[in-house]
Formats: sequence, structure tokens, C-alpha cells
Amino acid sequence: MYIIGNTALYLGIAIAVYALIANLIGIKNKNNRLLESARGGVLSLVFVSSIATFLLLYNLGTSQFQYEYVAAYTSKNLPLVYKLTAFWAGNAGSLLLWLFLLCIYAGFLVFSKEKRNPMMPYVSSILLLNILFFYLVLVFSSNPFKMTDIIPADGKGLNPMLQHPGMILHPVTLYLGYVGLAVPFAFAIAALILKRMDAEWIKLTRRWTLVAWLFLTLGNIIGGWWAYLELGWGGYWAWDPVENASFLPWLTVSAFLHSVMIQERKGMLKTWNISLVIISYALSLFGTFLVRSGVLTSVHAFGDGNLGTYFLIFLAIMLSLSFYVVITRYQLIKKETNPIESYFSKESSFLLNNLILVAGAFAVFWGSMYPLISEALTGTKVNVGPPYFNKVMAPIMLALIVLMAICPLIAWQKATVEKFLKSVIWPLAAGVISAIILVVMGVKGIFAIIGLAATVFMFATHVKEYIDGTRARRKATKENVLKAAYKLLTKNQRRYGGYIVHMGIAIIAIGVISSHAYVQDVMKTVNLGETIKIGHYEITFQGLSEHQKNGNGIVVAKLDTTYKGKSIGTIKPEKIFYETWPEPSTEVAIKTNWKEDLYIVLSSWEDKEKATFQVKVNPFVSWIWTGGLIMVFGTAIALIGGKTTSSRALRLKQRSAKAGV
Amino acid sequence: MRRKAFLLLVILLFIPITAFADYDYNSKEFQEVVSQLYMQGHANDELSTCKVKQMYYDEVTQMLNDGMKADEIIQFYVDEYGQAALKEPATDKSGLIAWGMPVVGVLAGIAVVGFWLRKIKVKNKVEAKEQDLSWDSELDKEITAKIFEEERRKHF
Repeated sequence: MYIIGNTALYLGIAIAVYALIANLIGIKNKNNRLLESARGGVLSLVFVSSIATFLLLYNLGTSQFQYEYVAAYTSKNLPLVYKLTAFWAGNAGSLLLWLFLLCIYAGFLVFSKEKRNPMMPYVSSILLLNILFFYLVLVFSSNPFKMTDIIPADGKGLNPMLQHPGMILHPVTLYLGYVGLAVPFAFAIAALILKRMDAEWIKLTRRWTLVAWLFLTLGNIIGGWWAYLELGWGGYWAWDPVENASFLPWLTVSAFLHSVMIQERKGMLKTWNISLVIISYALSLFGTFLVRSGVLTSVHAFGDGNLGTYFLIFLAIMLSLSFYVVITRYQLIKKETNPIESYFSKESSFLLNNLILVAGAFAVFWGSMYPLISEALTGTKVNVGPPYFNKVMAPIMLALIVLMAICPLIAWQKATVEKFLKSVIWPLAAGVISAIILVVMGVKGIFAIIGLAATVFMFATHVKEYIDGTRARRKATKENVLKAAYKLLTKNQRRYGGYIVHMGIAIIAIGVISSHAYVQDVMKTVNLGETIKIGHYEITFQGLSEHQKNGNGIVVAKLDTTYKGKSIGTIKPEKIFYETWPEPSTEVAIKTNWKEDLYIVLSSWEDKEKATFQVKVNPFVSWIWTGGLIMVFGTAIALIGGKTTSSRALRLKQRSAKAGV
Repeated sequence: MRRKAFLLLVILLFIPITAFADYDYNSKEFQEVVSQLYMQGHANDELSTCKVKQMYYDEVTQMLNDGMKADEIIQFYVDEYGQAALKEPATDKSGLIAWGMPVVGVLAGIAVVGFWLRKIKVKNKVEAKEQDLSWDSELDKEITAKIFEEERRKHF
């Protein structure tokens, strides 16, 4: 096993080097045989990385404690699913996962229907450079097949916080997002090298970028869900540097997904789009650097040796390469573009949207790095935590929501104020009415009310757009409402998929604003039979009990709960004492209804009849997860049926030519 | 005697109500203080399993019950650990760069976008004028554009 594992890694280096050289010589000499051979090399890399991956899974699943990695992250009594997901619990395994996913992406690409595209050898070379880097890091810094000096009787076990379904999905989805960003980056650089400054690379990478963005969205949402259920502090997003690192590329890719539409339609923003793709890719590497280097304090980080330095060096190399290619092609990119006919147009609003998204990314980046900057400049470390990010990001996000409310109503090329005012009146009225209702209901907090009203305005805009579209279709086709609505969606999946994503964001925004502004929190020590009152809930303590499961000791509190006087059953927060871990872990008890979560943590106890609980009522948190699912649904719709504007224009041109027009 | 009683009543009225308060983790003042403390990176840990957070919670409760005000407690920690005691940079001169930079970033972005929009509008107006004068037919225009494109690829 040891030999096979290490051979797979060393062979990976050899194949990656060969394929890279074959590509470069093949490109230089226009030698198709060599290019074909390089393609075979990529396929071989998929094969050898799969061997290494399945071997590590086998080692983890069968508790081969002679391997350092297995002994460090698993134990005999760990359930099989968590033995396997310990794959990404540490540096070596997570890097191997990254490498495996990168090889899979590269394999799909070089054998896709675009494999004969002249850009492909360049794309493949850039991906091979990434693959080679990961192989080198694995072999020389974080080898998952390194043996222990003495075989331990049992492993150290998996961090209890990682023993949660969220941790099965969160790292994989996030890595799929990070790795996916290498594809548009590779295409952008290939297009630059080949001096192809049309929208072809954008057309080819639209789906890849959307897939990467979809996984980044999923990764962030699942990460929040995991933190909410597992960390026990009652929140889902702590503006931790590592969380920020995954949010940064999400923001820049969101900007890119909007600005490509301008390049497709107007041939504008070429430099900007290339910059966004390069920045997004660099941020994905930067995020990895943050997680691995340990330069910033984070619950998610696993700083280890020189790994951070290697990532920094690789990041510097890739950025230098990108910078060189952009600079040498700048005169070519700076071609004439179609004019912006009016400042009041969808094009301009997209520019504003890009500005806000990138400003958000800059603010998050700046806040994340400021502790390091302040220490370097003044010698004193200044922390930048949630209060800072909440204050800085709240106006930026509010501006984004307002823009999302307005943007769909503004026409392309040149919008007229009268027409815009006519379309905006009802959504705006919905926002204003919602604010009035909230005030009448006695809801406090002016900023939260403004945020909620803006979100209702944004949601109403999208509903109105859909209703108007359906109505127009019915008028033209005489279809019934359902058919017209369905056809409207399927005929323009890219547009309406995007609208569904926006609606998902609106729902998340309601959850985020409400859960920040209106959380109720109480910590109380109670005796047997005593009650804690919070909001409309009454929670009566019915005692503690103990039992064993998988060799772990579990202390369970029994709490009878009523909501508005009616029983809603018994809930049981737990503390689990792991054999292999010094700290107990908290299992939160949650009762959810459509508008709030009752969130209970068993904090401590004196005896079986006296315990302390932290109880929170978190409003609308479930809306965040629902909104996330809606976003995924919307992205899937845009992804499946979306055709690029340029390809549609091309089809129309072809049809016209055929018809002899 | 009546004067003394009146004096005592006046003194009692001027003693802040907080002096008699028994603070615990649910007190508003307590929440106000702990929400600002960084607690050496443990502020978001779960209380029951985090010794550092428990220590901070006990200290803050003790200080409040000893009659210290929220801002005095915050100042105490800043004196002890510097600005690193808090979750956010100071709002005075020392925190200017931290708070100001995002604003500068947004303003710089607006300036760049505004300048660029103006530039391409002006440029395109000029080009449109020139093109109107130069080309006899759309075909000529297309052929020349293709030649230029090829030349660009060669030279840049």
C-alpha cells in the first residue's frame, strides 16, 4: 500500500511534467501527435490521482494506523462515514482531494467536445501547472502516505466538530468551487496568449464558471449551516478569516457573471473580465494559503510547516504570469468597443453592480488582512471581527439589494425615466408598505427595517418581472397561465434562472437581517421542574441522564417545551464526551418553525437536577437555508438551459442567412 | 433630623441604579461589554467548553458587580492588552486607516468607473464621426477591420 500510494504520487509528478512538456513542444512545432500524447497524460493523471485517492479512502476506512494521516485523524470506534470523511480533515488529505478534483476537471476538459479547440493545449498546460504544484506539495510537504515510527494501537480520532453531516459536504463543495475557478482562469490566459480577444473564451467557460460559483454558494451555505448546528454559539457566520476567504471569490465571480453579459452584448469590459477571472483564481489560492499558513487565527485553519509559503510562492508565480500576459496583450484588449448610449441603462447598472461587489470583496479582504497589516506597520495587532464587518458590509449589501431591485427594470442600451418609474412603482410600494407594517407591528430598529423593506422591494421587482413576462407571453400566444409561465422560464432559462437566484438572495437577506437584529438570548441555571421563559416559549427542565454510544459518554438534558401555551414536545440538548478528545462537544437542540428557531445549548450542570442552559430564539434562520436551496435551484436552471447571447445572435444570423434575408 | 433624612434621600436618588444591580450573563450591560471583547480569539467559542471565554465572562460579571461601568471595563482591557483586546479597531485617529480604507476603495472605484464611462463615450463619439466620413461601404469597413485585427495579433 505504501509503495502503491507513493508510486501514484511520484508517477503523478512525472506524468504532469511529461504532459506539460509535450504540450509546449506540441504547440511550438504544431505537432498533433505530441498534443494527443499530452491529452493521454491528463487522462493518466486522472487515473493515478484516483488510485491515490481510493487508497487513502481504503486506509482510512480500514484503520491502517501505520499511516500518520490515518492515526492522526481517525480512531477505531469512529463511524465508517466519518472515517472516510477524515479524508479532508487534515492538510495532506484535503490537498489530495483538491488535486483529485483538479485532475477530474482537467480530464473532462481535454476530452470535451472542445478538445480540438486551438486554445485547449494552452488550457491544458495551465491546468497541468496547477496539478504539478499540488503533486509537488503532496510529495515534499504533506504526504498522506507517510508511515508512523511505531504503529499505535488506536488513532487520535476525528475532531468532534467535524463529525457532522455538514462536514461531509462543506469541504467537497467548497473545493469543487475553488478548483472550478482554475478552468475560466486557464481559458482566459489561453485566449490572451493566442490573442483571441473575442467572447469565445467566455462562451466556453460560462458553464464552468457557473458550476464553480454554484459550488462556492453551496459550500458557504453548508458551512454556515454546519457552524450553526455544531459550534454552539448560535450564529452561522463569524467573519472568520477563513470564512472570508471563501466569500471573497464568491463576490468576485458574482461580479464576473454579470459583467460577462456586457462583453457578450457590447464587446466591452474585456480587460475587466479578464482581471476578475484572474483575481477570483488568485483569491481561491489565497484562501488556501490562509487556511494552510496559520498566519491568521481561525477555527477552520490547519497551519502546518512551510505549506503556506509554498502556496504564496505559487500564487506569486501565477499572478506574475497573468500580469505579464495581460500587459503584453493590453493594446490588443483595448480594442474599440460599442458605445454606452446612456448612463441610465442596464449596462451602466451592471457596472455599478460590479463596483459594489468588488468594493465588498475589497472591504472583506482589507478587514481580513488588517490584523497583519497593523502588526507589520505599528507592531501592535489590531483585531477586525464581526462588529467591523457588520458595520462596513451592511451599507454595501444594502446598496446591492437596492440595485438588484432596480436593475431588472432598467432597459438595455437606453432606458427612459418615465418607463422606469412606471415599472418601479408597485415593487417600491410593496417595500414601503412592508416598512409601514413592520413599524405598526412595533418592530424596532430603523436599519433592520430599511434592510427588510429594501429586500421586499427587490423580491417584488422579480415577481413583477415574472408576472409581466407571463402576461406578455399569454397575450402573444393565448396560452394558459401555467403553460405561459413555464414556457417563459424554459425559453429564457439564463435570465429567469438568474432571477430565481436573486429571489433566493432576498430570502437569505431576510434571514440574515432578522437573525442579527431580533435575536433573543438568555442564560439560566434551573432546578428540576423549573421553567425558562423566552419569547413565546416555556422550557421546563426534566432532569439529566447519561448513556454510552460508540464508546462515547453522552449527557442528555430533557426539556419539555411549550409554544404559546401549547406543548411542542420534548427536546434534548446533549454534551458528548469523546474517548479520544479532551474537550466535550455540544449537540444543540433546535425546534424550528417557519419564522424562528428555538436554539438550546446544555452549558453546564452541578448534578442531575440542576443545569445551566443557553437559550436563544433566532428569527428566520431557516430562511437562510431555504434561500440557499432556491439559489442552487436557480443556478441549475440557468446552467442547464442557458445559451450565451452571442451564440443566440449567431444562430439568428445563420437562420437569417438560410432564409436568404 | 428631617433635614438629614432629606439629604440622605437626595444622595440615594443620585446614586445610579446600577450600583445596586446584581449583574449576570443576561444583563444588558454585560452583553454590551462581552460583545466588544476579542477574548484572545475565543469570543465565538461555545461557553461551556471554553476556559478562556469562561474566565472573561466571570471577570466582566465581577467588575460590573464591583460597580465599574461598561466603558471603564473596556478601557481596562485596552490598557491591559492594547487594541488587540477588542473585536474591532478603535474609532479614533488610530483606527482611521482600518475604517477609512473601504470608503476610499469605494470612492476610488466610483472615480475609475466614472472616468472610464466618460472616456469611452467621448472616444466613441469621435470614432463614430471619423467612421461616418471614412467608409464608402460596410464591406470596405469589414475588410479593413479584419486586416487591422490580423495586424494587431501579429504585432502585439
